[in-house]
Amino acid sequence: MQSIIFDSVQKTFRRSGFFFSRQKVETHALNGVSLEVSTGEVLALLGPNGSGKSTTLKLISTMLLPDRGKVVVNGLDIRLSSQSVRSQVGFAVAAERSFFPRLTVRENLDFFAALEDVSRRDRPERIGSILTDINLAEAAPKQVMKLSSGMYQRLGIARALIKRPSVLLLDEPTRSLDPSAASNLWGLVRELSRAGITIVLATHNFAEAVAVADRIAVLQRGELLAVRHTEGLSVEQLRSFYLEATGGYESRSWLEEVLA
Amino acid sequence: MIVDKAGAVLKKDLLTAIRYRNGFVLNAVAQAAQLATFYYLARAVGPQFRPEGMPYFLFLLIGAGFYSFLLTGTYSFLRTIQEAQQSGTLEVLMTTSTRPEVLLGLSAVSAFASAFVQLSFYVAFGSVLLARSMHINFFATALVFTLSVLIATAIGMVAAGLQIFIQKGSAVLWALGSSSWLLAGTMFPVAALPRPVQVISNLLPFTHSLTGMRLAMLQPLSSAVLQGEIGILLLFALALAPISIIFFSWTVRRARQLGTLSFY
Repeated sequence: MQSIIFDSVQKTFRRSGFFFSRQKVETHALNGVSLEVSTGEVLALLGPNGSGKSTTLKLISTMLLPDRGKVVVNGLDIRLSSQSVRSQVGFAVAAERSFFPRLTVRENLDFFAALEDVSRRDRPERIGSILTDINLAEAAPKQVMKLSSGMYQRLGIARALIKRPSVLLLDEPTRSLDPSAASNLWGLVRELSRAGITIVLATHNFAEAVAVADRIAVLQRGELLAVRHTEGLSVEQLRSFYLEATGGYESRSWLEEVLA
Repeated sequence: MIVDKAGAVLKKDLLTAIRYRNGFVLNAVAQAAQLATFYYLARAVGPQFRPEGMPYFLFLLIGAGFYSFLLTGTYSFLRTIQEAQQSGTLEVLMTTSTRPEVLLGLSAVSAFASAFVQLSFYVAFGSVLLARSMHINFFATALVFTLSVLIATAIGMVAAGLQIFIQKGSAVLWALGSSSWLLAGTMFPVAALPRPVQVISNLLPFTHSLTGMRLAMLQPLSSAVLQGEIGILLLFALALAPISIIFFSWTVRRARQLGTLSFY
């Protein structure tokens, strides 16, 4: 069964020019992307900065709405049923500033759990269990402003899991983690997937994509270039596949990227 | 569930306020200083000045106290959005299972609760000093209070919507706040203003909130004037409440479409 469907999705950001300029600057974040993700599948989005990975995640989470085309999550069109979609999708945002710094880890999660309709009676147990799963139990009484960046990363995932979502979105989940913590997190992602949660993650890390994803999708400048299964794929093979799909994009210098 | 959510928001705001200890203490000092200012201002003006037949100190106390309460509540909607935009929590909050309008309303509840503590402090202080001049009509007071809170909530939602829409909700509230401080009869009666300005003054809902609250708390008998003020407040509330919810929902949807939810 398909958990997420992108049908010819187009998303363009329009910004006014400077001062009195009437010219609008347009950025085509997604250009006619069609994609399906099955229930319980892990899909990794790969692509350079500005390729449309975060826009894809934001559309699934309903933070953004498409200009054209259709995004369907668990059978619900995000335009027509955004509130129902939100109750089923967890988006792990790890930005340090997205928490309340003076509250403890437990107090932050308790607040978000209340907003996610978790009853007062169930909250302590659910928070405790998630903190254990995510290896943050010892940090529960710590004020969030005293956490390391790796802990913020894990707290972001804990917050996304608090509503027991059927779809989990991860934006570079191991960016600030050491290799051991990253490996633990990959194990958790696999476990969640086995439990039937559909996971879409945006990453630049080939090893991560191979370790956790069932399929990878390569995006570049809003275009979906290729999709393939990762079974039997090594990190080197994935790198070659990616470079072939993007026309060697990774090997370009920043100056070449700007000039392009 | 809504009570549970309101409790969570109150707890979050209370814990945050307490943990910024210095700010908490300074706020209490500022309120005491303001009370002292009103007291000595009323003494300097003298007991012969009785606007609308009320002792000036109580006129000032209820006017400024209730006005601050309403304005704090109104500003809280804007502040909630601005702080969430700047702290990066807005997008996260907007992806929770709680509707944006409900979330905004709950955030304002704690701001109103905090401002209510200040208002109660003012009223208690006035009661201690001039108990004989206070004649509280509890029913009318509750009615004026509820309708005024509804109106302040509606204006606050419009300001929050404007913050999301044009990122300049503060300019609108600044204009409203500074003009209504003068026009709503906070420090002196509206009758002291020139005639054409009085017309504008009467178009502001807060003018009727202050007049209604003073009449409900300081006049011995319920009057036709008080009933008239309550009627006007009811009309404002009925008109502004649905408009504000529709406008705020529309701005959130538009921001999701344009990708500008977190812009500030």
